[in-house]
Formats: sequence, C-alpha cells, structure tokens
Amino acid sequence: MKNETMKGLLTPGILARRTALAVAVLVAVMFVCSFVGAERISLKAVFCTATDLTTVNPDHEIFVRVRLPRIILAAIVGAALACSGVTFQALLRNPLADPYILGISSGAALGATIAVLGGFDWTLWGRSPIAVFAFAGGLAAVWLVWSIGRMTGKFYVTGLLLAGVVVNAFFSAIIMFLTSIAKSQQVHATIFWLMGNMVEEDFLVLWIGTGCIASGITALFLISPQLNILSLGEDDARSIGLNTTGIQTFAFTIAAFITAVAVSLSGLIGFVGLIVPHAIRLTFGPDHRQLFPLCAIIGAAFLVGADTVARTVVAPAQLPVGIVTAIVGGPFFLVLLVKYSKKVHWYK
Amino acid sequence: MSKWLLLLLMILAWMGLGLTISISQQNQIRGHQVSPNQINRIVSMAPNLTEILFALGLDNEIVGVTISSDYPPTAKEKHKVGNFWQPNIEAIIAARPDLVVTLGFDQQINLAHRLKRMGHTCLTVRIEKIRDLFEAINTIGTAVGKQQKAHQLVSDIQTRLDNLRALVGRDQTLKVLWVVQREPLRVAGRDTFINELIEIVGGVNAIGPTIHKYPPIGAEQVIACRPDVIIEPSEQHQNTAAQLRHAMQYWGRFENVPVVTNKRIYVVPADVVSRLGPRLPSGAETVARCLRPELFEK
Amino acid sequence: MIKVQNLDFWYTPESPILKGVSFTVQRGEFLAIVGPNGAGKTTLLNLLSKTLMPKSGTVKIEAKAIELYSNKNLAKKVAIVRQEFVPVFGFSVVETVMMARTPYYSSIGFETDTDRKIVNEALEATNTSRFASRTLGSLSAGERQCVFIARALAQNTPILLLDEPTNFLDLKNQVAVYDLLKAAQIEKGKTIISVTHDINLATQYCDETLLLTGSGGYLHGSPKDIFLTECIKEVFGVDVFKGKIGQESFFIPIGKYAKKSPSAPVKPALS
Repeated sequence: MKNETMKGLLTPGILARRTALAVAVLVAVMFVCSFVGAERISLKAVFCTATDLTTVNPDHEIFVRVRLPRIILAAIVGAALACSGVTFQALLRNPLADPYILGISSGAALGATIAVLGGFDWTLWGRSPIAVFAFAGGLAAVWLVWSIGRMTGKFYVTGLLLAGVVVNAFFSAIIMFLTSIAKSQQVHATIFWLMGNMVEEDFLVLWIGTGCIASGITALFLISPQLNILSLGEDDARSIGLNTTGIQTFAFTIAAFITAVAVSLSGLIGFVGLIVPHAIRLTFGPDHRQLFPLCAIIGAAFLVGADTVARTVVAPAQLPVGIVTAIVGGPFFLVLLVKYSKKVHWYK
Repeated sequence: MSKWLLLLLMILAWMGLGLTISISQQNQIRGHQVSPNQINRIVSMAPNLTEILFALGLDNEIVGVTISSDYPPTAKEKHKVGNFWQPNIEAIIAARPDLVVTLGFDQQINLAHRLKRMGHTCLTVRIEKIRDLFEAINTIGTAVGKQQKAHQLVSDIQTRLDNLRALVGRDQTLKVLWVVQREPLRVAGRDTFINELIEIVGGVNAIGPTIHKYPPIGAEQVIACRPDVIIEPSEQHQNTAAQLRHAMQYWGRFENVPVVTNKRIYVVPADVVSRLGPRLPSGAETVARCLRPELFEK
Repeated sequence: MIKVQNLDFWYTPESPILKGVSFTVQRGEFLAIVGPNGAGKTTLLNLLSKTLMPKSGTVKIEAKAIELYSNKNLAKKVAIVRQEFVPVFGFSVVETVMMARTPYYSSIGFETDTDRKIVNEALEATNTSRFASRTLGSLSAGERQCVFIARALAQNTPILLLDEPTNFLDLKNQVAVYDLLKAAQIEKGKTIISVTHDINLATQYCDETLLLTGSGGYLHGSPKDIFLTECIKEVFGVDVFKGKIGQESFFIPIGKYAKKSPSAPVKPALS
C-alpha cells in the first residue's frame, strides 16, 4: 500500500537513471554532429595525426579548431537557456515565460548595438567587445526590471512581467534609433549578432563559460525543492517555511546570470528556453529536481543539432541558429500547446 | 551550508585549472612569420582583393575566393570559401592557405583574428578610399614578393585616371546624385570613394556634407539639390535594362526636376563601379560616359 | 498558546476591519471563527499566519511575538489551509503533500523515510490515498481541498489554521473533515482554528467561538453563549429557527419564501 501511494515520486535512483540516459543521447549527438559539416572530414584523418605536426592536416584542424569548440559552445548555451527558461517559468508561475521575458534580450541587444556602433578596437583576450557589452547590457536591463518589479509589492509577478514589457519596448526603441543612424555594415553586423550565431571560441572562453553555466545550473538544482513549492504559489511557499524573498532573488540572479553569459557568447537564440522545459515537463513531470538536469542535457543536444542544421543545410553559407530553432520550435510549440491545454486546466 | 561551500570550491578549482592550462598553451601557439617565397596558396576574402591578386599575376597561387568574386572569369572556377559577410572558415582551412587576405571591415577583422589564433597567416588591408587602394596594392605586393608588379599596377591606374581627368577638363561641373538604394532612398555621401570617383570625372556630389557616409534622404532633398545626373549602380549583373526601366518609372514622379525631364538617369554595372579595385579606371570611364557622353562620341 | 491583544487592522483607514480585538486560544483548543461576509475572518487568519502584519496590537505564538519568527520557524508551529486552487504546473497529489516536508529533506534534496511515513498518514487520514498519483487539476474541488488539508497535516505542526475547509465538500465529507480535525485535536493535542460559514458544524465541534460582527467588533466565548437567536439575527441580519437534538443545538435561517411565513406570496398564475 505504501509503495503504491509513493509510486509517482522522484527518487535519486530514478533521477540518476534518466540523467545517464540523457547524457548518452547527448554524447551520441555531439559525436555525430562533429562529423557533419560544410566540409567532408574523415574519422581516420582526424585521429591519426597527434604526433606529426609538420604536415598540415586540415581535417584534424577543422575538427579540433572549428567543429569541436562550436559544438561545445552550442551545448553550454543550450543548457543555459533551457535551465534559465525553467527557472523563469517557476518564478513567474507561467508556462509561457522564457529567458528573455524580463529584459535580458533587449538589454543585451542594446549593449551589442552600442559596441558595434562605437567601433571599439580593443579586444578582451582576443574577444570582440560585443560580448562584454552584451553581457553588461543584459544584466543592466534585468536589474532594472527587477527593481521596478519589486516596487509593486504584493503583485510581484504581474509587476515583473509588466516591467519586462516596458523595458523591452523602451530598449528596442533605442536600438531602432541607433540602427537608423548607423552605417549599413554596422547594421548588418548588429542584425547578424541578434539572430544568434555560433562561432568557435578559444579554449579559455569556452572553459570559463562552461564553468559559469555549469555552476549556475548546479546552484539551481540545489534549490529545486524550494522552486517546486514556489511554482505552486507564493503564499503557500511562505506558509511551508520558505524564505520566499531570498529564494526568488537567488534564483532570479542565477538565471539572469547564465542567460547573460549565454547571450554574450552566441547572440539571441529563441525557443530553446521555452520548448525544452515544456517537452521535459510533459514527458517526465514538473518536479524541478528532474527538470534541471534533464533540461540542461536535452537543451544542449537540441541546440547542437540545430546548429548543425544551421551550418549544413545551405552550405557553404550558414543560417543563423536562431532561425533554425524558430522554424523547428514554432510548430513544435503549437503541438505542445494543444497537448498541454488538454492535460492541464488553465487556472491563474 | 556545506553543499554550497563545496560548489564554491569546485568553481574556483575549475577556473584556476582553466587559467593554468590556458597560460601554458599560450607559449605553444605562436603565429609564424611566413616569408614571401613560401607563399604558394592564397585565399582572398573579397572580390576586389581577388581582382588585385589576379592583376599581380598570382592566378596559380590563388586557392580560394569568395562566392561573389567573379572577375576575372577564371576566378569563378576557384574553390569557394563562403561570401564576404559569411566566410566559411572550414572551407578556408580545407584550402590549406599560406596566406589569407581580408579587408578591414569588422566581420573580416574578426575572421582574421580567428584564423591567426589557429596559427594561420593573415593580411588585413583597409580599402575605403582610392588612396587606400594604392597602399593596399603595394602592401599585398610586398607580402607576396611582387613589389615591382604592384608598383606597375598602381602607376597604370594613376595614369589612366590622370588621362581621364585631363579629357574631362575643369570647365563643366555637373551635379551627380548617386543612388545606392531606392526604397528607402539612400545616396552616396561626400565621405565615400564614390565621391572621389565623381570628382575625378569632373562632377560634384549633389548632396552636401552629411553625417552618414550613405545618408538616407527624402524627396524634398532630391528636388532641392537639383542634380544634373542621377546614377544608380545595378543590383544584379545582368538586367541593367530592366532596372533602367524601373528607375525611369520611379523618378518619373519628380516630374518637374530637370534631371528627369532631360532623362539623364543612368544605370551602371555595380561590380565595375562600386568595387574599389584594379578596374577603377574602367569604372571611372563608365561614369564619365554618363556625365559627358559627348566626349566619347568617336 | 496564541495570544492576540488589541489587534487593529484596516486596508484603508476609513474602513477598519478589526478594532481592538483581543482573545487567547489555549493549547489543544478548537476555535471556530464565524461572521458575515467581509467581517474579516480570512484577514484574521492571515494575521495569525504572518501573511499580513497588524497595524497595531500584538499577536503572540507561544509567548513570542509573531514578527520575531522567521518563515521557517513559524512553519514549524503553524500550518494554514487556504482555499483550494489548481496550480499552473501539474503536480500530483502525493508530490503536493510531500512539499510540506521540504524543510526536512536530506542535503541532496530528497525525502527521507520519516517524510514518507508522515505523508502516507496524512493521505490516509484525509482519504486521498486512492488518487495519490493523479494531478491536482484532474480532481474535484472537494477532493483538492482534502489534499491541501493533507498537506497541512503533513507539516506536523501544533497549530492548524483553516479557511472555510468544507466549502466544496458534500455532507459526508464535511463531517469527515471535521471528524478528522476533532480527532487531531483529541489524539494529537493540536490547536485548531477554523473559519467557517456553517454555524451548525461550528457548534457541534468547536470548544470556543469567535464571532466577528463586521464593523470591527467581536464576541468571544463558548458556542452556548454566542449562538443565541437574537445575537445571530442582529449580526447576520437574518431570521433563524433554533432547534435541539440531544445536547446539540442547530440553527436554520428562515427566508421570505419559507412555508411557515404568513407573508409568503401566492404563486403567480399561469396565463
């Protein structure tokens, strides 16, 4: 009788099994995608080279210097966006929230636009200043939204959403103005960045990015029981003993941080933060202890796949990744919406 | 509390490890300086660079060009490495270049940085004005060991331009409106090489100094600046005739402006005129024909 | 156990909800809070659970002022059952009840056996085990209300606050819930405070009654003393009939169309 009642609950064993399966899927996807690309490269040529440095081996070079960094980048960005989506959906108690809803997208875009227009020449460890400005812009915007939202007191969630809308609109207007007075090549550069793009990065950037995102996701996982309660209702959470303000601030900060890191690395890529949490929730349930690990891994796999499509389908040209995620994500989201509204009753 | 402490320690360890690996790696990768003799494989990342390289006699050494590099015709058969805005770095690497030549736009500088990080040799030249073109030809010539040919090419171009200036003379100054885009209306301003081109052939830009290099303008400015000639670079290579028809239709709305009633609206092939490369004198000549057709009636 | 002194509360200063309310609830007592709509019953519960802060006056739980309790410590003393609702995300019944045990989870964030045992007992007591793995959205309002009661029980606190817990329940379940609460009071010594519209259930089960009159005033005493026909008529503004079965009194409101009233209008003729 006892086992029967507890059947639905998540246990460490179940979680470990599912995570292992997801990791296997991710590794397989990454391996296959690293051999797909604009140029044909052969498995043998890639691996039989280690010692001989004098002869040029373009296959190896493409694999190690171009494909692998790009795939790793896609994986960490996908993981970050998916987990950030989960968090904002929990905090706002709204299944339609995505990582950009509270101003990060327009803030980062404004930062990037200013960087492009400013024509800054300096580089930070060889990285263009666009990334740094985008990161700062994203965080500044989200801080602004948070401050405005807090002023609304009890109706905290609505206040945040409205503040997000206002800030997004305001920043977008500034971006449009700047774009209108920009040189055409700058406009092109900004739009290109805005649509999301994966560029292979150097080792240190990838390493630090992975560290930031992985630690952010781990921190969110560690507060997932609290997020479970919070996603049920704020008054309920408080009555059960949660420090709601503390948890909300913490989760919000971490989610905003990893989103800002992801956006500064790869521009604005939509739909990952919306679709992946939904898909995992519909398949496995809304328990956040499960959502974070699985969304991170499946989000990574999804974006690696999308990026591979983006760089091969019209080769040798490349589509911006954001287009692929939108084309795949849009219809998928509609299907989810239909299924979802039958499963869950739409209450406030 | 302890799980948070553990997390913090792991983060610090991770970052520390990354920094140490990165520092040790720095010492290994050093871009090697390639001497001109060793350059046998060159990739060009812009159509005008391709033209310059071919003009320097490097037909055999060129192993990769962008998709829009279509002149000289043999360039079209070379391995393609993406286009000017979206270089295909895999294709560039697959071509095993000894030297990659790029322009000075942000995208391309970015590309040059990426390639240099991988140990490739890159040459970046800024070509925004005619003077830059001469400098660039010389720089490229030095890098590939063809200084003499480069000097020759430069002086050829200069001579042809001087001849054109002499032919056109200084007595007439026609006002030219150079329309790069019709909707919305955008023209070439005073701070562009197009302006230099216009002045070489004895014209003057109908638009005064502006903030933008390619300012968007309104209908009233078209009427107010009273151009004598309107020139549009063609959007595609073929079909200049079709574009001319559309242009005539479009400009027809400015019924009372003299340039329209005199039908002095011309469409010129963009690849010759807007590409700042060795074909500059031909481009200038084409524009001169539009302004002063009577000089060329032979 | 709970001491309220001179409690004042208002949403706008012009219309005070509670004025100078003072009462004490002993350990192990069953208090019913009754009153007309808008009298401030839910507000009072919110003040007792630190959801709202008093404008003046004090609330003390176990001789300590409520402001001094952190959320976590207060949750160990007071559990509150509010109106049922369907959450946005599809948590199951057992997941929802298990959430009450979150402060007691292991460090990695999973339930212990103690937690499982307690949740099981709570589900059994509220008769909700039979749909333990269904989502809240698929239950009826009454069943959902029982789930929230189960969650409050799983919190294992000495004080239980309930806001109209029998609103959506059928007769059998109304009695079942109050039997459950009474059992919790008698067997486990819990202190129960229940807001209810049903003055009959209140008289049947509670030890003490707090009647909020709706203009800031209140009456506190045993049901015998509070539930008098004249009093009810004045506070609730409705005529009542008082009856008696054994030791229990009951009250039935009498409306305009009740059959015993001589002024009942004639049925309109069908034309």
